[in-house]
Amino acid sequence: MRKPYWREISSTWYLSSWPYRWFMVREMTSVFIGAYLVLLVMWLFRLAAGAQSFEQMLVAMRSPLSVVFHAIVLAAALYHSITWFNLTPKVMPVRIGEERLPDPLVAIGMGYLPWVVLSALVVWGVLR
Amino acid sequence: MADQHITLSVFRYRPGDDVDPVFQDYQVPYHDDWVVLDALNWIKESVDGTLAYRWSCRMGVCGSCGMMVNGKPLLSCAAFLRDYYPEPIRVEPLTNFPVERDLIITLDGFLEKLKSVKPWVIRDDVNGTDSEFLQTPAQLSRFKQYSMCINCMLCYAACPVVGLEPKFVGPAALALGLRYNLDSRDHGNAERQSVLGSDEGAMSCTFVGECTTVCPKNVDPAGAVQQEKVASVNDWYASVLMPWGRR
Amino acid sequence: MKRSGTRSNEAFWWSLFSAGGVMSALFVPVLIVLTGFVLPFAGDPAASYHRVAHALSFWVVRIVLLGIVTLSFFHCAHRIRHVLPTVGLRITPGLLAVLCYGGAFAGSVATFAALVRL
Repeated sequence: MRKPYWREISSTWYLSSWPYRWFMVREMTSVFIGAYLVLLVMWLFRLAAGAQSFEQMLVAMRSPLSVVFHAIVLAAALYHSITWFNLTPKVMPVRIGEERLPDPLVAIGMGYLPWVVLSALVVWGVLR
Repeated sequence: MADQHITLSVFRYRPGDDVDPVFQDYQVPYHDDWVVLDALNWIKESVDGTLAYRWSCRMGVCGSCGMMVNGKPLLSCAAFLRDYYPEPIRVEPLTNFPVERDLIITLDGFLEKLKSVKPWVIRDDVNGTDSEFLQTPAQLSRFKQYSMCINCMLCYAACPVVGLEPKFVGPAALALGLRYNLDSRDHGNAERQSVLGSDEGAMSCTFVGECTTVCPKNVDPAGAVQQEKVASVNDWYASVLMPWGRR
Repeated sequence: MKRSGTRSNEAFWWSLFSAGGVMSALFVPVLIVLTGFVLPFAGDPAASYHRVAHALSFWVVRIVLLGIVTLSFFHCAHRIRHVLPTVGLRITPGLLAVLCYGGAFAGSVATFAALVRL
């Protein structure tokens, strides 16, 4: 006789192996990046409100709370960037004739290199 | 040297007799060139003929012997006892599938999913051709990797979305769909898109990537699914921006 | 060649997620470093204000920043929308989508409002 047995999926399935845990960390970076973006919008409103308002905010951002928050968000953003660039070659494989360009090459060319160049451009654009 | 043994703790389920599964421990002789499949065969031949499990080629090409070994989806013919000795080995049926009996899972759903992606060459020319199809090595290399799947279902056991969303078409079937979409002899992309681009198709994947990690044949189903997501995006924008009939 | 049948709109949201993933991966780290560490501690706040105000005085820069922030909002919204049910959140799928993408839309509108005001 057939009487198939159904096993339940654990509600904490993402804790059951390291690959699953790191996957969840990667997904959760979106919460931190989203939080930072909200603060960035508020930062822009302060900029629009004028020099005094903006400068007051800059001084307030010297607080330990602000520094710790930004450190955490930066860690999350870096993890997002690194995992994103490393996965890019799988989403957009680059073929030349019969061969497929090695993944690390594509990750550098379509990810890490533009990242460095654009970051340098932004720093130059703001701080010059 | 004294006879060495290793413990196999095996998932048992007998429909009609058991309400719930139990684990049964067996003391199996240890040989450093044995795999888990050898141990299961020894149990069945010498100790307990009621133990039920699938296997065939015993060399990693048929895809029959997939099971969970210490919580990881593996081919039992590829899991060496020496990698676990002297610790006990826990053997269970593949995760995310219903269990028919002992280590045997129900694979009807999987076969339906394979069929749903129309895994055959679909042609425009109704009357067929008189001669063979010609294909260059470059054209072959586009899809060859995705044709290496042995339907072992380890990827389905590794994928959390398969477990959380039973209707998800799944890694192997999606990779198989890409295999045909990339085949130069095939004209079936549009026909497959209704499955590949559906909510239960590529778009349900969250790119955990474990399917590719556990694949014994380097098919890289995760990569295949991401390529299908991109193709679905192109298809969507084309249908919205150019709604008149194409091709 | 007949057209395919059911077409999911999920592909559209994934395209925003994907573009936003690229934008946030490329730009968010340097923005965090600048706004969170360099500018607050860089000596004279008045000089920092002038630098930033000058950089954002160009419409091209504002448009690019709007694009980066908007796409990044939709990237985060899409990821959050898809991961929450898998960690046990019980909510009707339609409502979750509205909350997530609605939030991203609100954030994008706010960004636009701020940039226009500069």
